[in-house]
Amino acid sequence: MKGLIISVASGKGGTGKTTVAVAVALAAGYCQFIDYDVEAPNADIFLKPEIKNIKKVTIKHPYFLTETGKDFSKCVEFCQYNALAVIGSEVVFFPELCHGCGGCILVGPEGAVREKDIEVGEVSKGFIAPGIDFLKGNLIPGSMRTTTIQGELEKMLNSEGLVIIDAPPGNSCSMVMAVKNSDYCILVTEPTPYGFNDLLLSMEVLDRLKISYGVIINRDGIGDSGISDYCRDKNIKIHIKIPNDIAIAKCYSGGGTLIDYNPSYCSKFESILKEIESLAY
Amino acid sequence: MKQITVISGKGGTGKTTIASCFIKLAHEHIAVDADVDAANLHILLEPKIEKKEDFIGGAVAKVNNTCISCGKCEELCRFDAISDSTADIKIDTLKCEGCSVCEYICPVGAIELVKEKQGEFYISNTDYCKIVHARLNPAAENSGLLVTRVRNAAEDIAYSQNKKLIIIDGAPGIGCPVIASLNGVDYALIVTEPTLSGISDFKKIYEVAKFFNIKTFVSVNKYDINTANTAEIEKFCSLNNIDVIGSISYDENVPKMLAQKKFIIDDLKSPAAKDIKQLWERIEKILYN
Repeated sequence: MKGLIISVASGKGGTGKTTVAVAVALAAGYCQFIDYDVEAPNADIFLKPEIKNIKKVTIKHPYFLTETGKDFSKCVEFCQYNALAVIGSEVVFFPELCHGCGGCILVGPEGAVREKDIEVGEVSKGFIAPGIDFLKGNLIPGSMRTTTIQGELEKMLNSEGLVIIDAPPGNSCSMVMAVKNSDYCILVTEPTPYGFNDLLLSMEVLDRLKISYGVIINRDGIGDSGISDYCRDKNIKIHIKIPNDIAIAKCYSGGGTLIDYNPSYCSKFESILKEIESLAY
Repeated sequence: MKQITVISGKGGTGKTTIASCFIKLAHEHIAVDADVDAANLHILLEPKIEKKEDFIGGAVAKVNNTCISCGKCEELCRFDAISDSTADIKIDTLKCEGCSVCEYICPVGAIELVKEKQGEFYISNTDYCKIVHARLNPAAENSGLLVTRVRNAAEDIAYSQNKKLIIIDGAPGIGCPVIASLNGVDYALIVTEPTLSGISDFKKIYEVAKFFNIKTFVSVNKYDINTANTAEIEKFCSLNNIDVIGSISYDENVPKMLAQKKFIIDDLKSPAAKDIKQLWERIEKILYN
């Protein structure tokens, strides 16, 4: 297989994105796997990669040489995020509001605004036999630079081969960052009103981005047939329904995959991969 | 007036299911749905919209046809939002953070910052209390800013109507919308589950709550599906002086009730319903001690 990026997303959290993404990757055997859920990355719990290197991700924060006696009021005026204030001869800096754009250096007195690196998280690279290149991002608690970490992952995406992307929940910027490069998106949902509501929102996002998609219903049997009926009416592919089973939940709770639970899922996900190959091209 | 936010780190641990029960059980309160890009509280609460407001997001750069393709903006943009600036310039609005460096550096004034409507928020009535909720446009940005708007609207109502409590249903993750939902609240309830993923994400969201100095309680949902993991969560909590305020049994009735759009606590024979009711009674004692 050449050049296919598959993302796995869901509006609602906890529907089984990671479970599905991991099963697809294991069924493929050879691919790049990227955990784009940098706020709550969990795929490594199941894939157990051997981590080969970790790279720190930093942004730049300014500091002000107030002893120069220069006027920094232009910096305060320029900052779109209200991260700066001048009180007397002091510059007050609010780091949690700074995006690290560098604007204050551009407009401020020459040489009197300097920058230092601030760590916002890290990106780890690893490997799982026989041939999965593993990548994950991890945001530091308290930082809001989710998309900075995702941008680092994007730079390492290998669009020549098969790529499986585990997306974060939701339907806003961090989810879009994860799915926007994909040829196909698998939407994982559960048959409850919450799952259905958030599935429709995710479909709106993908329609807008012109990315084709199919659905996997997880915990099938817990709710109603609303999603199945909807997908049938709209001609949306349902790749598989994974039954609600406390044994799967228990297996998952200890770090087991669907394939650990029942090896027959391997061939099921191989067929899903083939389906997607034919749908995506 | 007190504020409590329900958060989890990991999605799908039961935040909304639990928060909706609290909203039905509480008195003299306002509800907030702070999961603005996958809002679910309205499904059970069936709000009737009283007032609607546009949400104008942060600015993004737009380029006009006077661009001379000099490439200066691309060179200075720290967010990789500008590409092909020496040919046919493209601005990636998803990556643009509206810092205005490009607007400042452009020698011909070809770039300006534009603000657009990115969603709506609503003040609504329900059978139990007023709720402030929102709809962020699919694929839109600034969810953190929208959470702040929604919370400000709720605080205004709470002060003017002398309410005692705001109950906030938070988003999954630990990023900007979550931080916006925690900023300045009195208490955070972390709902976790005894899975390795749940534990990993719980530790991260706890760090966030600690970072912002918020008094935190923990509830382990479906605690009985993996008692060894539940014990590990309890051990972590006791080492860090976090109160495990009440755990909730695995209960097949929960998704069934949800499918019928019923509150779990409507059927007090169900084990999870009893646990959630008891959890609320304990929280209420702390809130109004």
